[in-house]
Amino acid sequence: MTSPDEPFVAFDLDTADRELTHLVGHTIEELSDYLDRNRTPADPTIDDSPQCQIALRSLQRLRGVQRSLLSSDVERESERSDGWVRSILQNINLEARSGRDIPIAHPSPTARLVVTEGAVRGLLRATGDGIENIIVGRCRLDGDVTAPGTPITIRVDAAVCQGENIPAKAQALRQSLYAALAQHTDLTIAAIDITVRDLYLRPATPPSETEQR
Amino acid sequence: MPATLREHVPSPLDTASDLTLADRAADGDVRAFEVIVRRYGPLMRVYAARVLGSNDEMDDVVQESFITAWQQLSTLEDGGAVKSWLMRIVSRKSIDRLRARRQHADIDLTEPAAPEHQSPHRLAEAESQTEALSRALVDLPEDQRRCWTLRELAECSYGEIAEELELPVSTVRGLLARARKTLLREMEEWR
Repeated sequence: MTSPDEPFVAFDLDTADRELTHLVGHTIEELSDYLDRNRTPADPTIDDSPQCQIALRSLQRLRGVQRSLLSSDVERESERSDGWVRSILQNINLEARSGRDIPIAHPSPTARLVVTEGAVRGLLRATGDGIENIIVGRCRLDGDVTAPGTPITIRVDAAVCQGENIPAKAQALRQSLYAALAQHTDLTIAAIDITVRDLYLRPATPPSETEQR
Repeated sequence: MPATLREHVPSPLDTASDLTLADRAADGDVRAFEVIVRRYGPLMRVYAARVLGSNDEMDDVVQESFITAWQQLSTLEDGGAVKSWLMRIVSRKSIDRLRARRQHADIDLTEPAAPEHQSPHRLAEAESQTEALSRALVDLPEDQRRCWTLRELAECSYGEIAEELELPVSTVRGLLARARKTLLREMEEWR
């Protein structure tokens, strides 16, 4: 801690010359960069200068205050009502993500049924969400889904909860995805590739199944 | 078609990584997008309020930012970088707002007059350090405040700030140095 009567000349240095003189050839900007680099590589001309050390302590103190200001501001904003979240979700356009139209066979020659690519991705996510401790991320349908009978490869990214058996989870997901696709689409599935890209922490308070349904 | 609104219930998505959430949201998952909004919205609101120097337009700016983010999520290559991407969007929207405000007021685009420094001891002793900093930030000239918020809140590099503000890197460095010196001086006066 600095003593109360310690001079803080560094910050009255309005001209570059005075700044350089007082900080033995350094500037506040340089010292700030030095802190950003965690004082590595060590610079003896800074570390051995009492004036630079005073300036560094003040810069650090300013950073500490900055951090507590930011966290109290963010905390205050987090405690606000949900109105602004709702307002944002009400204003986004869901149709932007529908993607390609995937034909579905129908006995009537005049009927044209399609399911959108976006809906199929939603189906893949929802199927994954039905399995505990794995979360489906990005989903891709590779191949011409608009031409019936074309072999399609489904590529799915997934995140697995820490501590789970990854191959077993991936296998359970693959089986469920095959079943869901067979039930809800006419796609010819060549393969389902699952890439586990991520691990995540178990939620602190897992929602109980009875409350959810 | 508006998104269906439900009560916020705890979900495994709450602890999912930014990468998973951004990928899902890019694929059209509103629930994942909602988790992103809750995770980074408060920081974006704080940021917008600091850049704009007021809370009046904060809601609009943050809402516009998230709508843009929803539209452009599929262009984000690394979903894990969604936080800094969002911060750049909100900073751009905030700066657009400032420009519009200035054009509206028909004021010169360079720099508004910095407020006269008031009594050096105007900050009451009882005020907390964070309140002192908060005031000092409001008093900073606008261009210095923008650089400072981009650097300290959005954690942008000097290069990114220069790009955002369409200024040379050397100018950005100079503005940041001035902002820091002013803030240090203010904090000393409070002390």
